[in-house]
Amino acid sequence: MARERYTRLLDLRPRWRAFINPWLLRLPNNPERLAFILHRTTGVIASLFLFFHIISTSTPARAGWEAWREEVLNLQGLTPISLLFYIAMGAILFHGINGVRLILAEALALGIGKPEKPKPPYIAPLLRGFQRRLLYATFALWIILWALLGYIMFFT
Amino acid sequence: MALLATRTAKLIPPKRVKVLVRRYDPEKGESWWQEYEIETYRGMTVLDALLKIKEEIDHTLSLRYSCRMAVCGSCGMVINGTPRLACQTQVAEVASEANPVVRVEPMYNFKVIRDLMTDFTEFFEKHRRVKPYLIRRDVEEQENPEYEYKLLPEEYEDFYQYSLCISCGLCVAACPVFASDTRFLGPQALAQAYRFIIDPRDEGWRERLEIVDSEDGVFGCHLAASCSAVCPKEVDPGAAIQRLRSLLLRYRLGLWRKSVSGPVGPMEKKAERMPLPPEAETLPGVSLEELEESKVEIPVEKLISG
Repeated sequence: MARERYTRLLDLRPRWRAFINPWLLRLPNNPERLAFILHRTTGVIASLFLFFHIISTSTPARAGWEAWREEVLNLQGLTPISLLFYIAMGAILFHGINGVRLILAEALALGIGKPEKPKPPYIAPLLRGFQRRLLYATFALWIILWALLGYIMFFT
Repeated sequence: MALLATRTAKLIPPKRVKVLVRRYDPEKGESWWQEYEIETYRGMTVLDALLKIKEEIDHTLSLRYSCRMAVCGSCGMVINGTPRLACQTQVAEVASEANPVVRVEPMYNFKVIRDLMTDFTEFFEKHRRVKPYLIRRDVEEQENPEYEYKLLPEEYEDFYQYSLCISCGLCVAACPVFASDTRFLGPQALAQAYRFIIDPRDEGWRERLEIVDSEDGVFGCHLAASCSAVCPKEVDPGAAIQRLRSLLLRYRLGLWRKSVSGPVGPMEKKAERMPLPPEAETLPGVSLEELEESKVEIPVEKLISG
């Protein structure tokens, strides 16, 4: 009986919510988690974009060049398709720029600080390393490039 | 001083706080939020608050604790949304006069036994899987050692930080990968694997590298760095995992090979074996034997008269 009681455990695992919810935990000094969530989300958006991109670029083979021209015209000006395209481009931009930081840190172990004896104010070397500055640069570059793309797409 | 004054002022808790505890009754299978209101005092930790509730208000509240000074790692819980050790967190840090609420939940990514107690079976099973102990080929020598194993201070510093782990499970509670992948080894186990792999006294590194070389091992980590952000001992499991992955990739490419150190004899014997460096040789015309035999005369009279 005691064993039966013990095995009835409550599972509080957040599961997939941990991938999309930046407010699941309040973690101080951890923009890497935001980058992690954005990297996952933008990865899914980029995969979806790739799928539709392959379908749309096969239009000339399926329906001829006239249909292709109509499709391309959808991208001019502020249309639902051009907005979706803009979002997809933003996702790919972030995924690409952040991917470079991740390759440096994960595969080459660059910019993650050196092991040290803990000393005040007790901030882990990983959170003080060069990858943190790269992360801020990633966010800055992403916003600038995306805004520039928006300007080129919608205002020129 | 002004800076100090504000810092001190911050650490005075509100006189009364509302403690919201996420409780669980395994017999009924019910989970609910329960509210308690208690008086605080200066320096009160969340663990103190919970124990006060247990003593004075509700004896059925269950929690796990032991040392009360962030050494045993028993009282990890999610306090106001952040995985923390209850004994290391003051009420004044998480509650203020404007918002005198302390929300306490059991750690995420663990199964809950009752109230705030979580089941560590899986956690320790994964820790055990990476063989967190020194492995030597010569077991007889390891069991009955004649000499110490060689370990240089700079080699020691490479893994000292990772050896401070108290297995509190906060890193696992914060890990977003562990939240969905039950087979993922987790930051604690992987950091310990790295700690023993780079230990120059260890000879079981090949076995350990095979264990962590998988999707659920070192390649499951995606650098959210939440483990390093919540670690109460600044163990930095996130950096350990990145180092381990890089080391594993280099090993697979044949670019890394570990140099294992063996037992070394006492330093006196080492001095006999090794010749003296040229600057330590005696001056010409001076015999060391004569110098040692000659008595040292201290001119006491001169010293007193001078």
